Amino acid sequence: MKKRHSFSLRKRQNRVGYLFMTPWIAGFLLFTLFPFAATIALSFMEVSSTIRGYEIRPVGLDNYVTAFFRNTEFVPALGEFLMMIVPYTFMVVVVSFIVAYLLNHITRGRALFRTIYFLPVIIMSGPVMWQLLDSQTVIHGMALPDDFDSLFLLSILRSYSPAFANLLSGVFRQLSTILWFTGVPVVLFINGLQKINPSMYEAARIDSANEWQMLWKITMPQIRPVALISTIFTIAQLSTYNISSVYNLIRTATANTSQGLGFAATYAWIYSLLVLLLMGLAFLIFRQPRAKEVSLP
Amino acid sequence: MRRKPAWGRIAGKTVIYAVLIVISFVYLEPVFRIISKTFMSALDVIDPAVQWLPRTFSTDNLKVASRVLNLETSLVNSLWFSSLLAACQTLVSALTGYALSRFEFRFKRFWFMMILMVFIVPLPVLMVPRLMMFITFQDLTKIKMIGTALPQVAMALLGQGVYSTVLILIFYNFFNMIPGVLDEAAMIDGAGPLQVFYHVVVRLSRVTVLVVFLFSFVWNWNETYVTGTLVAGTIQLLPGKLALFDQQFESLVSSSGSAFRINEAYKMAATFISILPLIGLYLLVQRQFIQGIENTGITGE
Repeated sequence: MKKRHSFSLRKRQNRVGYLFMTPWIAGFLLFTLFPFAATIALSFMEVSSTIRGYEIRPVGLDNYVTAFFRNTEFVPALGEFLMMIVPYTFMVVVVSFIVAYLLNHITRGRALFRTIYFLPVIIMSGPVMWQLLDSQTVIHGMALPDDFDSLFLLSILRSYSPAFANLLSGVFRQLSTILWFTGVPVVLFINGLQKINPSMYEAARIDSANEWQMLWKITMPQIRPVALISTIFTIAQLSTYNISSVYNLIRTATANTSQGLGFAATYAWIYSLLVLLLMGLAFLIFRQPRAKEVSLP
Repeated sequence: MRRKPAWGRIAGKTVIYAVLIVISFVYLEPVFRIISKTFMSALDVIDPAVQWLPRTFSTDNLKVASRVLNLETSLVNSLWFSSLLAACQTLVSALTGYALSRFEFRFKRFWFMMILMVFIVPLPVLMVPRLMMFITFQDLTKIKMIGTALPQVAMALLGQGVYSTVLILIFYNFFNMIPGVLDEAAMIDGAGPLQVFYHVVVRLSRVTVLVVFLFSFVWNWNETYVTGTLVAGTIQLLPGKLALFDQQFESLVSSSGSAFRINEAYKMAATFISILPLIGLYLLVQRQFIQGIENTGITGE
């Protein structure tokens, strides 16, 4: 009797659950899964649009050869993208953790600060960022790099590795822009910090740990999952803003239907693979270390 | 436990506040720059002595920028376009969130994983086949798709709009907080699943519905990649016009034959105009926005 009841309940749950899920599942298959597979397939094809629709013929690795060896823009743009996204993501995650950590230590004015730090999430869009960056280079142009070069530390660095020094001064110059990507991670970190069990800190304090030790031994390990989510979120966000030149390359290739969409698919697929690899890397870095096996007597 | 001396604590707090205030300024610097440049007169812009505060307050930049942006049309378009997509997205996210929160259907964990996976798939990898699908559909049915809002409405209605994952998670977590007993009570009174969903659950989550709608509105407003590819400028939208501001400024000026030159002040005025509606919205409901992100519950669980 009891068994029969639970069986019919499960069936009902299953049916009604799928009823509510149908739109999403249909959309997922049609607009996400299928296009994803199709892009990979199209990257091996040549697509030409004719009056009768699309003509698709396989060309093997031709698109890839063109992307990597014949086209002179793509590889440098990818390199530039990597040089942008790695330091940016690092900065965004570190800064948002610091901000959240500090915000967690104050009570008065916390809401106001949070409001300020979240504002960019609302107003940030590709064109706005572009206008801001563009106008910045217009006014400062030549003047700014020297500003930072006069820093003693940076000039020491430059004598060792000019590339690294350039990277660093680039990060400094676009600090505001980078900080604008921290809106959501800050909120996530604050939330994560508040969920850490306070009795852990109590216990540590009784064992006479100081703030610094508690930060490294309790807060950091506990916040690891949030750091992972923030990193992935930041990579996802940074990779869809047109501050990277690969992104614009893909965009123009997609808009330019005459040149062949197969080629655009190749660009998009290589780029996305790179982004997914970066996310995988983030996953490896923040992976929960396997708990040491404790043998019980 | 040894108590820290009071002066040490106060000094610590002061340092924290100082750091936070400095960071706030770095955050707001672009906004200040936008506002200050917007109200500068042409003389102030080239005067190196004028840094932040305009010497003479002028609204000329706003007038010029709003003409180049074609403000009346593009503002109205942006409003209805974003609202329409936001309404579609809100509806589907609520349905999906409800399914995940209330029902134990087969492969639920799998679908949940897929919802999260959708978030990390970079958009460029999907756009070429999507574009081809819509163009093929357009050719077959003779219904105009490219250059209209239809493709994006279809995607939003099927749960594949901007950041759908986040919206679903907001609903999922909120619905989890509504006791299931209420659903059961309604069902005993003879309500079907859709009736329960609408009359009980949605009515209890009016604020969440509003938050999700606003998020979706803002993100659809700011979204330019998908819109740029599928609408391709046929519907004049504010962010799209901002992206083309420099070119359109030049063409407008050369056709009128005057000696205007594009400068930073015009660009910033245009940026100011396009973010002003969003800032206004944010000031009204900023607390709900932040709580919305907290309610995604992706931290912790």
